[in-house]
Amino acid sequence: MNRVFIALLIAASIAGCSSNTPSTQTQPKFKVALLTPSSVNDSGWSALAYDGLMGIKQELGAEVNNVVAATPQERRDAMRSYAQQGYNLVIGHGYEYNQDGIEIGPDFPKTVFVSSSGTKTAPNVGTFRFYLEQGMYLLGMTAAKMSKTGVIGMVGGPEVPSIESTFVGFEAGAKSVRPDIKVLKAYTGSNDDVNKAKQQTLALIDQGADFIIHQTNAAAGGVFEACKERQIFAFGTNSDQTSAAPDTVLASAVIIAKPAFIQLAKEVRAGTYKGEVRLVGMDVGAIGIAWNPALKPRVPKEVLDMVADAESKMKSGALVAPKNEF
Amino acid sequence: MNEVLGILSAMLSIGTPLMIAASGETVLERAGVLNIGLEGVMLCSAFFAFLTDSATHSPWLGLAAGVVSAVLLMAVSSAFVIKFACDQVVTGTAVNLLSLGITGSLFAFAFGKTGKLVAVESVPKNEAFLSLNPLMLLAAAAPLFAWILLTKTRWGLAARGCGESPESVSALGFSVIKTRLQASGFAAVCAGIAGSYLTIAQTNSFAPNMTAGIGFVVLAAVTFGRWSIAGTVFASLLIALGYGAQFWLKAKQTAIPYQLFDALPYLSALIALICAGRSSSAPASLARPFSPK
Repeated sequence: MNRVFIALLIAASIAGCSSNTPSTQTQPKFKVALLTPSSVNDSGWSALAYDGLMGIKQELGAEVNNVVAATPQERRDAMRSYAQQGYNLVIGHGYEYNQDGIEIGPDFPKTVFVSSSGTKTAPNVGTFRFYLEQGMYLLGMTAAKMSKTGVIGMVGGPEVPSIESTFVGFEAGAKSVRPDIKVLKAYTGSNDDVNKAKQQTLALIDQGADFIIHQTNAAAGGVFEACKERQIFAFGTNSDQTSAAPDTVLASAVIIAKPAFIQLAKEVRAGTYKGEVRLVGMDVGAIGIAWNPALKPRVPKEVLDMVADAESKMKSGALVAPKNEF
Repeated sequence: MNEVLGILSAMLSIGTPLMIAASGETVLERAGVLNIGLEGVMLCSAFFAFLTDSATHSPWLGLAAGVVSAVLLMAVSSAFVIKFACDQVVTGTAVNLLSLGITGSLFAFAFGKTGKLVAVESVPKNEAFLSLNPLMLLAAAAPLFAWILLTKTRWGLAARGCGESPESVSALGFSVIKTRLQASGFAAVCAGIAGSYLTIAQTNSFAPNMTAGIGFVVLAAVTFGRWSIAGTVFASLLIALGYGAQFWLKAKQTAIPYQLFDALPYLSALIALICAGRSSSAPASLARPFSPK
């Protein structure tokens, strides 16, 4: 009796997973899939990719689908099954999908596998490299200029190369305007654990930090809550996170994936895409700074001018934000 | 001094849900039921407390909703493990997966597909000193209540009997099923308060899977505490202190890999286990289903 119950439960959950049957095969439609490391409702890294996917859907009328695939097994299974279902473009949103694409790509020459960041390429495998370090650099400048204590902090989730690289950008920006600034860094090891993010942020504030930037994805609420309690400013990353803490988030370094995603999809549909590492930054409008309109008046004009100046220099290539290769 | 307060504050913040949930779990395990689904129950109550708080702007209504949702979910899982004598580990795992799926989906449904980071109203907090809040009183009250319940009442004797030798309890005319269900109810209320605490008092926000293993840490605390209330409280506090020290050590910017500090809470729990020695052991019938003949 109990076994029947559990069997039913399992059967129901399997049925729920496999409801995405391929559509009619009579008219092949351009199909795009997105794989994200975390749920797309993180209002950050994964959310911005979903936004890009919706852009492809609207602009190209493509059939789109998305799934969370975090473990190596999940990633490869998902990539293979999308390719088998005839998807033309499979976007893996993270550097970890790059290696999977290299391994699976040769088996499915009709599908293009693109990952967000990564360095390996093949004829049908390429990567995007969102140059978020540019935005982080500008926020680092802002924090260093405005800090009263001379200490600023960075809180990360898991220590992965892409996150480490953005912190390199932030620290370089801070030191460019104030060489003696102390930049603290701490990783919680988790993208889910909101309280760990909060407690770690509090610990950095206890060490004197009066500006905090984070890379904790869905756990960002904890970072903002800590900054709110101690009444200091925080910065958002990946998406405009002002709404999460309107009195606390001064500005966000944002990635605008939509134009880059649409461009990629157009090339794949036209059959002109060749596997490559594509650096997308401020020059093509993929990276920007979103100020919190309510708090912007509290930023001194000289700081705003300095940031605007650095931004235009980055667009022209006169100022290069450092980044790690991975 | 400031830094000591910082560690203490983190310890209290993390220790509160541990001690509350562990009190309930100790009573339940002493009655012979292992609630592997604790993580899921806490996540469920964290979400519904958050949802209600965000809709009504009342953290207290949120707390009520969190407790109710925990009781409902525990009622379902208890029906399986206590009434129908299902495997407790399998059922608990199912509860964890179910809760993760339901809360994640509802969160996406309520706050948009791409999600918005939403901050909700917090219970009153003393932000100047240790972030003290009223729910922390429960961290002291729950173990005390559980201790009196287990050791000073007739019901507690029956419950402990259910964990050691349910056949004897049944032969004496008590209903093992009923006693275990009552213990499960108490554990559910505790888990509900602890789960709600995460969203309405600690972080004031929600993220899918935000419990991030705290339910399993509670199970560990009960085991490390050797199934005594005092031991469990001691283990919970040590684990919480491990967390507090971890954040402080990381903020100190040492060259030591941070993963080492991540292990601190578990390391301190292990030390607690060694100190506790072999003075007492698990209830003899823990996780053994009982079917009345």
